[in-house]
Amino acid sequence: MYLEGEGDAMTKPGNRFFAPENPLSNSLAPIKDELAVQIQHLNFAFGKGDLCKQVLFDISLNLPKGQIVILTGPSGSGKTTLISLIGALRTVREGSLRVMGQELADMRNADRVRVRQSIGFIFQSHNLFESLTARQNVEMAVELLGRFKSKRDQAEVILTQLGLADRMDHKPQALSGGQKQRVAIARALVNHPPLILADEPTAALDKQTSREVVTLMQTLTREQNCTVLMVTHDNRILDVADRIINLVDGQLESDTNPDAFINSHTYKNSKHDDAKMFIM
Amino acid sequence: MPFPKRTPLAWLNLVHDRLRFIISLGGVAFAVLLMFVFTGFMNALYDSQIQLLKQLNGEIIIINRLKSNMVLPASFARRRLYQALAFEGVEAAYALYTSDANWKNPETKRTRPVRILAFNLADPVLPLPDVEANLKRLQLPNTALIDTQARAEVGPTTAGIVTELADREIRIVGTFTLGTDFASGNGNLIMSDQNFLRYFADRGPEEDTRSFATVDVGLLKVSPNVDIDALVATLSDRLPQDVSILPKEGPAGFVQRERTYWQENTNIGFVFSLLTLMGFGVGVILVYQILYTDVADHWAEYATLKAMGYSNQFLLGIVLQEALILSALGFLPGFCISNLLYALAGGATGLTFQMTIARVGMLYATTFIMCLISGAIAVRKVQTADPADVFGG
Repeated sequence: MYLEGEGDAMTKPGNRFFAPENPLSNSLAPIKDELAVQIQHLNFAFGKGDLCKQVLFDISLNLPKGQIVILTGPSGSGKTTLISLIGALRTVREGSLRVMGQELADMRNADRVRVRQSIGFIFQSHNLFESLTARQNVEMAVELLGRFKSKRDQAEVILTQLGLADRMDHKPQALSGGQKQRVAIARALVNHPPLILADEPTAALDKQTSREVVTLMQTLTREQNCTVLMVTHDNRILDVADRIINLVDGQLESDTNPDAFINSHTYKNSKHDDAKMFIM
Repeated sequence: MPFPKRTPLAWLNLVHDRLRFIISLGGVAFAVLLMFVFTGFMNALYDSQIQLLKQLNGEIIIINRLKSNMVLPASFARRRLYQALAFEGVEAAYALYTSDANWKNPETKRTRPVRILAFNLADPVLPLPDVEANLKRLQLPNTALIDTQARAEVGPTTAGIVTELADREIRIVGTFTLGTDFASGNGNLIMSDQNFLRYFADRGPEEDTRSFATVDVGLLKVSPNVDIDALVATLSDRLPQDVSILPKEGPAGFVQRERTYWQENTNIGFVFSLLTLMGFGVGVILVYQILYTDVADHWAEYATLKAMGYSNQFLLGIVLQEALILSALGFLPGFCISNLLYALAGGATGLTFQMTIARVGMLYATTFIMCLISGAIAVRKVQTADPADVFGG
């Protein structure tokens, strides 16, 4: 890369120096600065040849920074596929998908691993290492960025924020379900990622705990101005969203705010009184 | 943690389940033990063959040209020794006479073949401390020293025993410690050359007679600062061709030649190498199982690490670290138990079990490779941990 032509180097003077260090910084074009995720005409299919099954059809979607977006829809509608594509866990082959300005389409595996470092993942199950304490589990995320000196402080700050100050040196075995999920959230948030992808984060939690967890996520994301994309079937937490996207059979069916979403669904299914029932 | 280091995930994952960790180490230790025992027997069988030869007091050895190993009863004319003495640099020449004879176990009265080593008591042929302390007693007629490492079939090995050797009475006046080999039968006796004649000069019509005219092994003592190889070359050139002249030490030496003979002419190496290989295979499978279980149990966690942005290499590193920790910590108990077993087996067989640093190092390297191979197989499981599958789990 150091053999680039002179002219090239003149037009983009800073490029060659910053590009190898942080792939995210240089390609952040100013126009897309306000968009955390930009999807254009995204198609995705599993399998090949006769077994090819398309699950996403021509998805175009923009997620601005600072929004909490809930992605909902029936089983098999492609929510999980979409979120794993945005999370750079699968290769995009058709269409364009930009995360924090990085084009993921046809990206090399090693580069996708780097993109993932700027995304916070929260899964349905907490996936904490039983052998590590809550603090160590969170520190593993900080170590990813090589911040060995500050990892302890960072982990303590975020765990304290999540109300786990007195549980930091407990192993997951000694924590309740809600506490474990909060540790997992701390792990996702500790590096202040600009984008958080959550897959049914409250599915394993009771009503009160899931409310707590969601409220915490809401507060923390507001403070850090990050974008949250959450797949959920849990109609108890819809109200935290700025926006609800409904995906049906691999196509975007609706993209509205929570009230409109509830109203539209109530209208269509008028014999039901409780709007929240249809989100399943 | 007091120091800002990377979380030792490999170590913590291994020790998280204490019981499983201990069982894992037991498994590795067992594999190490198997390898130690089998290589131990192999080396002991080889080492025992050269045990006597290493003790012989001479820098150059003369033997009958046909004597390719110590079992072969070929002797050469004693005058070759005197001829050798004429060469510059040769300080002394000693004769060692050997013969097999039946020994009657004083307790069971059953006869067993043993080997007799005989020499002029004035010559320091076998400078073992026990032998030198008993030289005076060996001057008496019909006396011998017995090897305490002789096999159990020989009976008690203590001074004062009176029994029969080659159908003549013999009195044991002392003991020494050497060990058995293939040529020694059930054990070694040491006696004076005079007594050797008493027993073997006239053994009857069907037995070979022995005299001082023929020698089994000749030893040449060389003056200091003499080039031994050059002297061996001169002697080989000038002495009649019915004898082989070899340096005692060195790669082309008498001691190594004996070892090589047994390595090339027996299945010892093949059999025990095969057994060691099986121990190695057992170790690979055991360690693989341990690592595979760890990866399988923590599959979702490892996939999550991948989703977070940890590379495949990092996870490979974790698995290999676990493999290395297992190899190091499993080797220690395996080594300790092996030491114990070596002592027991040595006592039971009369073979020489040596735990040399080179052999321990070699086996540690083998254990290391064993765990590395297991790690390399188990690692493939980590690579299949697809972070995309964790979603919607």
